Amino acid sequence: MLLRVENIHKSYGDAEILKGVSFDMEPGQSKVIMGPSGTGKSTLLRCINHLTEPDQGHVFVDGEELTSKNLNAMRQKVAFVFQDFNLFTHLRTVDNVAIGPRKLRGFDKKAALDLAYQELDRVGLSDRADAYPAELSGGQQQRASIARALAMEPKLILFDEPTSALDPELTGEVVSVMNKLASEGMTMLVVSHEIGFARQAADEIIFMEGGKIIEQGPPSQIFEAPQQDRTRAFLNVIEHGGHE
Amino acid sequence: MSEWFDFAIEHLPYVLQGIPTTLGLWASAMVIGAALGLVLAWARIYGSRPIYLAATVYVEIFRGTPMLVQMLFIYLGLPEIGIVFDPLTAAIIAIGLNTAAYQAEYFRGAVRSVPVGQMAAARALGMGQFQGFKNIILPQALRRVIPQWSNEAILELKYTSIAYAIGVTEITARAEKIGYETFQFFEVFLLIAAIYVVMTSVVAQILLFVEKRVSVPGL
Repeated sequence: MLLRVENIHKSYGDAEILKGVSFDMEPGQSKVIMGPSGTGKSTLLRCINHLTEPDQGHVFVDGEELTSKNLNAMRQKVAFVFQDFNLFTHLRTVDNVAIGPRKLRGFDKKAALDLAYQELDRVGLSDRADAYPAELSGGQQQRASIARALAMEPKLILFDEPTSALDPELTGEVVSVMNKLASEGMTMLVVSHEIGFARQAADEIIFMEGGKIIEQGPPSQIFEAPQQDRTRAFLNVIEHGGHE
Repeated sequence: MSEWFDFAIEHLPYVLQGIPTTLGLWASAMVIGAALGLVLAWARIYGSRPIYLAATVYVEIFRGTPMLVQMLFIYLGLPEIGIVFDPLTAAIIAIGLNTAAYQAEYFRGAVRSVPVGQMAAARALGMGQFQGFKNIILPQALRRVIPQWSNEAILELKYTSIAYAIGVTEITARAEKIGYETFQFFEVFLLIAAIYVVMTSVVAQILLFVEKRVSVPGL
């Protein structure tokens, strides 16, 4: 088992955002977390690599528990792709990708750049390597940030609504990169309402509501025969192109 | 006007001999101020409560008292408790400690202006807080702070003149000496003002060049 999430709780003041969430992931699996907004999906994702500290619960990666002591080492195994990209503004695209290997994985400058060009090629951005983030389109920025994650050669990538800051015509290029990664066997946990990715690449859909998992299963089951009324109602809304 | 030029040419060499002192005093103080200012800014942003408070008290004290008083205190006051500096060292320390307080606030503002997502992305890659600060936040903050820092640098270049009060023979002290020897105060202070304008303009142009040189789209 690659990832084990055990009984995660998180509150902000009186608001209990996560009420005990548990699930596992095997290597090579892709899972998509769906559910109405405000239901704790992004908080859950951030709790998994402790960008947000959970109040309770445990996260194990490769059998090793994430603690405050091994945090930085563990985060190198669990990459994170942000909704709003967060590329490093002062660095060219290729340096955004190279900085992880250079500063954290002990690569020398040349090796780090070689790897960075390789990862940019993987997301189809070789020709934009010398551009600064502000010179890239949103879709290009998100693909660059995926390349930055890949350059850490992580065991798992967490995607936090990777297409929701993008114009509709730009989501396709990001989704196709994600589909490709999934087919190459990358382990991916994705918070997204991107039906295309969920249907094509996900092994399992996790449906959350009110800080809990209320239904989970393969896409065929969730999309064709959801067990819960709430899941059915929600899917109805997003399948018809609306926003919940 | 031509009389003034003759006067200027005659006394220029003596005044110019003070320029290494003026610029040396200024550069040393700016370096001390930048180093200490960065530490203070770090303390005020990331420090625990006591460290934050200590840095805040420092900034308030050094911003809240005149630099001349600070300089006199260091040069004339500290010897009473056995700490003695020569005039130039006392002036460097005074101006350095003073500008540190201002620079700290400029650095702090610049660091705060870097979007929080930048540090989040650094931490998510596996960088520690200091690594993220050094590799990601600082390079952006320093670019953003250049205009304010340039202002401070020019201000301090002019402030080096108050070192004359504790006997540092920088250019203002030399001008005053010429004034008392020739009684041509009008001419000599016009001369010294022109020299300050030349120096500050050159510094401003250099810093503007640096600002353009390191600028990055989107920052």
